[in-house]
Amino acid sequence: MLLFALALAQQGCVWEKVDIPEQVAGLAPIYFEGDWKAIASEPPRPIERLYKLYYKDGYIFAGESQQGIHIIDNSDPARPVKRGFIRIIGNSDIAIRGNVLYANNLTDLVALDISAIDSVRLLSRVENAFPSLSGSDVPDDYVGFFECPDPNMGVVVGWSEQILKEPQCWR
Amino acid sequence: MLRFLSFFFILFALASCAKDSSGLSPGQSTGLGGSLARFTIVGNFLYTVDNTTLHSFDISDPAHPAQRHSIDVGQGVETIFPLNGLLFLGTQSGMHIFQLLPDGTPKFLSRYDHIISCDPVVANAQYAYVTLRVSGCRQAVAGAADLLEIIDIANIQQPAIVASYDLESPYGLGLDGQTLFVCLGAAGLKVFNASDPQNLQQVAYLSDINAVDVIPIDGLLLVVGPDSIQQYDYTDLGNIKKVSEIAIGA
Repeated sequence: MLLFALALAQQGCVWEKVDIPEQVAGLAPIYFEGDWKAIASEPPRPIERLYKLYYKDGYIFAGESQQGIHIIDNSDPARPVKRGFIRIIGNSDIAIRGNVLYANNLTDLVALDISAIDSVRLLSRVENAFPSLSGSDVPDDYVGFFECPDPNMGVVVGWSEQILKEPQCWR
Repeated sequence: MLRFLSFFFILFALASCAKDSSGLSPGQSTGLGGSLARFTIVGNFLYTVDNTTLHSFDISDPAHPAQRHSIDVGQGVETIFPLNGLLFLGTQSGMHIFQLLPDGTPKFLSRYDHIISCDPVVANAQYAYVTLRVSGCRQAVAGAADLLEIIDIANIQQPAIVASYDLESPYGLGLDGQTLFVCLGAAGLKVFNASDPQNLQQVAYLSDINAVDVIPIDGLLLVVGPDSIQQYDYTDLGNIKKVSEIAIGA
């Protein structure tokens, strides 16, 4: 019995000690059922999980992790007003030149015409431009913390960067 | 000429940003991302980084980006920052510098290696500023520390460290002239006068916010954290004033 306990303790020593951080950048699963390629302008919605900001010409483009972009009219910085939302599933980053917004739509690169900011239009799509963001498993080459997938949330279509609070999964 | 023009626009966007609020300008001007950005536009190219790869897309026909290069950079690429025809990549093992050839091809130029940790990078013509974070950085190896490092890039072929400062859990950072903004996560945001890299002077400390990244826009500071988007007026560095706040969640 004692030997058995010793063996267990030794086994325990093999496991690397990991301190779960309160807040950390890492990957979170993207859940989706349906057509993830559908890009759409939608009414303003609450900001739930934010990671990145982009600024252009008095507008703040605020990335709602994995879901799309909040458009905030910031022409008066003292009174920013939510103007709308662009649904882009799996989005993690954007850049804008002129009236064209470039974003990743999960693994694809999309170009959107935002000259009418309340009704954006898909111009073109480069399929599978970012293959490493796909799949139901954490990307092979990733080392770090990630949010444990919850099977009750639906199908995992990919992974995106997030600020995670006390993540329970890592590798 | 065209190339020069678009470059000028980039510089313009970086330097002063458009204050025009009457709508998106239809020209070739680009917007501003934070230091944690993974997408950036230089001239007629969109450059992006994912975990291991630097991608380029030709956007000379803006509506139809065309994939051009995919360059394997190695493990743990986190951020991309453009300056003066160069790309600075923040990776977990160091800062990589690529030169943009006239045809848009990124050509590896040099790298500055540091101990494995998490970090973005921003730069001006003389210095690059890199934060190294171990707090909450799963990849960090033993011996790594929470640091701000200042790297002399005047000789772009041989980046060399000139100073290093202890900072609590540094995340994103931003630069406006000699003013350096460093996000410290739950520990807030520190503002430095960086005119002497050997003697960084703290000019302000906003301790009551959770700051992950910043975008300085000519006197207006956008700060993003997990709880809120905050805006500050920093035209008077001795009296940085909160302008507004957008709550996240709840």
